[in-house]
Amino acid sequence: MKKFFSTALMRGLFWQLIGTLVGAGLVTGIRAIMGLSTTDTFFFTEPAWVLGAFFGVLFFLAGNGSVTDWFKWARGIETPEHHEEHYSGWEKYFNVSLDHKVIGIQYTVTALLLISIGGLFALIFRTELAESGLQFLTLDMKLFGQNGPQLYNTLMSLHGMIMIVSILLGVAGIINYVVPLLLGAQDMAFPRLNAFSYWIAVPAAVLLLMSLVLGGFGTGWTGYPPLSARAPVGVQMFFLGVWTAGWSSILGALNVIATVIRMRSKGMTAMRMPIFVWAAVATSIIAMTATQLIGLSFQLVMFQRLLGMGFFDPAKGGNPVLFQHLFWFYSHPAVYVFVLPGLGVISELLPVFARKPLFGYRWIAMSSMGIALVGFLVWAHHMFTSGMNEYLRVPFMYSTLLVAIPTGVKFFSWVATIWKGKLSFETPMLFVVGAIVVFLMGGLTGPPNATISVDLHLHDTYFIVGHFHDTIFGGFVFPFFAALYYWFPKATGRRMNETLGKIHFWLMTPSFFVLTLGMMDVGLLGMRRRIVDYDPALGFDNVHLVMTIAGYLIGLSVMIFIYNFFNSIKKGEKAEGNVWNSRSPEWQVPSPMPTHNYDQPFEVVGEPYDYGLPGSKYVEFIVPAAKSKHK
Amino acid sequence: MSHTQDKSSALAQGVVIFVYLALLTALEYFVAVTFDAVSILVVIAVIKLALVMYYYMHIYKLNEGAEGDQHSYEYKTGTMRLGLWLFLLSDAFVFAGLLTTRINLLGLTRPHLNQLLGLGVTSVLLLSSFFMNRGETAMAHGDKKGFMNNTIITFVLGLGFLFGVVLVEWPLAAKEGLVASFGDPANGPMGAVFYMMTGMHAFHVLTGLIFLAVVWNNARKGVYSAEKHWGVEAAAVYWHFVDLVWIIFYPALYLIGKLIG
Amino acid sequence: MGHFVIVGILVIVMAILTYMGLDLAGVATQMHPVEASLQSLSIDWLWHWQIVAISFLFSLIVVPMAYSMIVFRRRKGDTSDGEHFEGNTTLEIVWTVIPLFAVLVLAYMGSYSLGETRRVDPNAITIKVKAQQFSWTFEYPEYGIVSNELHLPVDQQVVLKMESSDVIHSFWVPEFRVKQDVVPGRVTEYRITPILVGNYKVRCAELCGASHAYMENGVIVDTKSDYDAWITEQQAAALANQTPEGKGQALTVKNGCIGCHSVDGSKMTGPTWFGLAGSTVELADGTTVVADDAYLSESILNSKAKEVAGFSPTVMPPYSLTPEEIANIIAYIKTLK
Ligand code: HEA
Ligand code: HEA
Ligand code: HEC
Ligand code: CUA
Ligand SMILES: [Cu+2]
Repeated sequence: MKKFFSTALMRGLFWQLIGTLVGAGLVTGIRAIMGLSTTDTFFFTEPAWVLGAFFGVLFFLAGNGSVTDWFKWARGIETPEHHEEHYSGWEKYFNVSLDHKVIGIQYTVTALLLISIGGLFALIFRTELAESGLQFLTLDMKLFGQNGPQLYNTLMSLHGMIMIVSILLGVAGIINYVVPLLLGAQDMAFPRLNAFSYWIAVPAAVLLLMSLVLGGFGTGWTGYPPLSARAPVGVQMFFLGVWTAGWSSILGALNVIATVIRMRSKGMTAMRMPIFVWAAVATSIIAMTATQLIGLSFQLVMFQRLLGMGFFDPAKGGNPVLFQHLFWFYSHPAVYVFVLPGLGVISELLPVFARKPLFGYRWIAMSSMGIALVGFLVWAHHMFTSGMNEYLRVPFMYSTLLVAIPTGVKFFSWVATIWKGKLSFETPMLFVVGAIVVFLMGGLTGPPNATISVDLHLHDTYFIVGHFHDTIFGGFVFPFFAALYYWFPKATGRRMNETLGKIHFWLMTPSFFVLTLGMMDVGLLGMRRRIVDYDPALGFDNVHLVMTIAGYLIGLSVMIFIYNFFNSIKKGEKAEGNVWNSRSPEWQVPSPMPTHNYDQPFEVVGEPYDYGLPGSKYVEFIVPAAKSKHK
Repeated sequence: MSHTQDKSSALAQGVVIFVYLALLTALEYFVAVTFDAVSILVVIAVIKLALVMYYYMHIYKLNEGAEGDQHSYEYKTGTMRLGLWLFLLSDAFVFAGLLTTRINLLGLTRPHLNQLLGLGVTSVLLLSSFFMNRGETAMAHGDKKGFMNNTIITFVLGLGFLFGVVLVEWPLAAKEGLVASFGDPANGPMGAVFYMMTGMHAFHVLTGLIFLAVVWNNARKGVYSAEKHWGVEAAAVYWHFVDLVWIIFYPALYLIGKLIG
Repeated sequence: MGHFVIVGILVIVMAILTYMGLDLAGVATQMHPVEASLQSLSIDWLWHWQIVAISFLFSLIVVPMAYSMIVFRRRKGDTSDGEHFEGNTTLEIVWTVIPLFAVLVLAYMGSYSLGETRRVDPNAITIKVKAQQFSWTFEYPEYGIVSNELHLPVDQQVVLKMESSDVIHSFWVPEFRVKQDVVPGRVTEYRITPILVGNYKVRCAELCGASHAYMENGVIVDTKSDYDAWITEQQAAALANQTPEGKGQALTVKNGCIGCHSVDGSKMTGPTWFGLAGSTVELADGTTVVADDAYLSESILNSKAKEVAGFSPTVMPPYSLTPEEIANIIAYIKTLK
């Protein structure tokens, strides 16, 4: 226990608390001197909370040691390129490590934790939705300064944003763990920046959760002003939390791009990179650039609230629709950040379990880039009803529809990969297949939203909610689970329990279909999004009840997974060899992966997915003699 | 045009580029005060950007160090250089977002600002880039003293710019009523946009100054040499980037559009 | 070849079954709620073709996948690999170009359908709509009527000029299909031609605060004669209501007070006005006040001044009303017993 409280995580959290108090105290002190009010509904005034929260993040990072080396550099002190691990066992994961594999696992576990929290929120508000009328989130209840409907809005919004942050972390987790291994690199290009990117996400998550207790913010994850300009102080924590998490995403993505460009093994030309690497690059291009705009859009609302700057305030000549442009310029491409790595996982795993080459490698690689780039040009399809210029909507309809083409290429190529393979269905493959079907449903419900006239009906209904749960589950959640089952043996030297894995799959998939088909159905009938209660006259009660039950079953299946995950780390069946009989380099060495990855560097001598071609090889390890010359 | 050129010609090149930039800035100002031509201002700004990116920031160096031993200093510097440029690309999106905000909210109008002061701080920043270039060139040729002297000049000019904007321009603008209400139905959120744009830029100037102080101090300790001075190069590139942003923001705030308020 | 023929047939069968299933669920030929506007017809038309395409494309992917999973699954003990087959450029081009073609068709249909929904009738009636947390107010400028129910004549295009007094709302009548945000600081337009007489509801579709779920007002499509009758009745009522109480009631409609305050004792976002006047109100700090005229007028102008227990003080927006208007409202509140 004592060890736990002296980990970098706990030190960081302790300093975050101190930082918050210092920052808030500072503002409060200044206000007291200036004769302004010093306390408000939530003890401190809003400016005090904002500066406090900001200081909290800085103190966290300074206090937990993730910036120590940089400070040394600034003072002209050199540090060794790699630290030897000071810690072993679980402690490694609670302290600052520069090893991309440790960081990948830190990201992944944090993502699982956030999925659980976000999912728990979903289960809470879904329970309220099970029946029309207000059952427990009533007008009379009061929690954290919010009555029932206000609490619903906060939980719903936080569900959305926490889930999105958990996706960003989950994606970063898989990419961090896998990409250097696939490239044959010792680590990421910038190991310290990598650690920093992870650790900054922790105080960000704390800020998001703080918003709940500081009065919440009932604005949806989109935080549109003027509503967000009037929300309680919780919305500031939300803005700052997202802003901070954004930096994690930006810097992590930058690192990925640099790693892929600079750290590939000998012989790994662009068209011989494992396909997942392409997906990681496409994702990172978006994350590195567009993320700045959600940060900026939220920052502008923060300043509007703090200083009365009228960016989005119509009474001051501001323009609420401008916010939506800035916001969606990130948040649409972001949805491709969610899915591209997942689609990469599908493309990476299918050949292994179908024992056939990936059909149309080049096309799949290019389609990832295509989706990412076209994805920059479609943002306003979220704003067809917003009152933006009528005629501008049409080009956005066209560009949005275009995304169907590269996505289609992926689907058709996957089918061709499976065709005449020798398919086997271990748990990772089950999740891959599930991912394809679910993502197809999500994808195919996209074009109706893109055609403006139909969207005028669908916008802000549960049909959209169904659409994006499908795309997100198909593009992220299912592939994420597939990746975890697949690479788990690489990380731990043990595999997860197959029976529990199959129960997880067969419980989650049907429940999920019920959940989202139900969403789409009530959506078409007139169920609006983001409502705590619905008109009983619409007759949705039964469907909603079924959806709530399905939601619980998904939650149950995730709990089974989490149990399986942590239990297998210690007790799982040993699996130190090439469990899946894969050609990929990381499986050619024993598990768990050695600290500095490959003891011998490798050279790429063939195509990555030449299954069924006798005698072909993807990589060849370079004999030690050659290596000793380098050192 | 690579770093192998000898010191005096590199310095001479810096002078020529500075003269070009100064002339273009004067032209820009002249165009703006005489007739209304946004397109010309855009063209001039783009030329200035290209000059700074190529000759002061050495964007072509991104191609260097692609081959060779991954553990060598050159290779690692190449990786860092790429990382820095990626960061600048990312940062550029913030400024692009601010510019979009300005265009959307203010359109072809601009706030009431002191033109001479604007031209003044712009010149100061441009001049600082010139000295930064000299400093970096000196270091690249192993001239530590030259580097330190030029960096001090850069630093002082940078500080001058920061004071000019924050301590002189801001109160002046406030007097013009830009802060009193951060926007009113007639003028739009003119003040809000002005303070946010200059504020975000000033924040970058501030970080740039800190960066300069850090490399100056490290140079004093003898950390850098002609072969190994990535820290100096990074600080210089970052400093020029801050200048780059101002090359866009200056016409966007001071020159373009009709005067309002 | 055999596999392809079987899969081809199965794809078609599956596509038809999917379509029939969606039809059975009622979502194929039209989007669920009845088609009550002219605009809904062209929207549902496009939707229908999209369902056809979705049924087909879904089957096109899922059937060969399921077929492979069954027919090409690895038998027990087989450790060999599948056929070595890396790709086929012709095929890739085919499945790039055919979807491209599909996208072009869809884009054309989308533009056509949009054009239909935007078709302008120069004789459209104009009605002013005001949205506020959490209710809608409708003003008929020609007749000087203000109402919180929207009455529309059937088969006649109307154009709603919509304004918001606080945050973004969105005007949506599911049976009309079309929705349009109402954005503070600008006037947005909503054009609709009702074609089916009936009672509907406008449901606010943009999250606008705590009671967003309840921001619903009646929308009644009348026959021409019923509509005229309603207009006359409203005009007469407006004339009869020149008493202070009557004016007060009109003011509470016009300012959207009844979006938060009930007049029948039921609980909404704000405290009910039923029996309020003269009663003893419990405040959040535990003290009580008697709801006399002074208290009521203070509450209306600045509801934060005295927080009623159990309600959040930040919700009620400040109003700038003249003393006379306030007196009228208070007179109206006093009638609610
Ligand atoms: C993971 C995330 C993800 C992904 C991948 C997508 C993919 C797509 N999305 Fe989705 N979307 C979201 C997440 C995602 N979306 C979210 C979170 C929201 C709501 C945000 C909010 O308001 O809170 C949203 C909302 C949303 C809207 C706004 C709706 C509204 O609010 O009114 C629109 C409108 O155009 C849209 C369209 C599309 C399209 C066209 C695709 C395309 O990329 C899909 C392409 C795929 C296919 C089409 C299937 C496979 C292709 C073939 C088999 C080839 C042949 C097909 C054809 C020729 C059609 N989405
Ligand atoms: C990764 C993305 C993701 C995921 C996985 C989910 C998962 C779920 N979502 Fe999510 N949802 C969003 C992203 C996501 N959602 C977004 C972006 C929105 C939009 C928000 C907005 O409009 O602003 C949204 C909105 C949204 C709504 C609409 C709310 C509204 O408009 O009013 C609904 C309603 O049913 C819903 C339901 C569910 C359910 C039942 C699950 C289930 O799958 C959840 C299953 C449960 C779990 C995964 C938890 C399991 C674990 C435990 C129970 C253990 C807990 C223990 C501890 C914490 C110690 N979601
Ligand atoms: C957005 C919701 C909302 C709207 C619109 C609104 N109110 Fe209120 N009102 C409230 C809430 C919540 C309270 C209780 C909290 C408080 O006293 O601050 C309240 C309190 C009051 C009270 C005191 C009631 C009591 O029980 O003591 C009066 C009187 C009142 N409002 C009148 C009005 C009038 C008149 C209007 C329209 C011109 C109006 N309200 C519009 C939400 C609203
Ligand atoms: Cu008004 Cu929601
Ligand atoms: Cu989108």
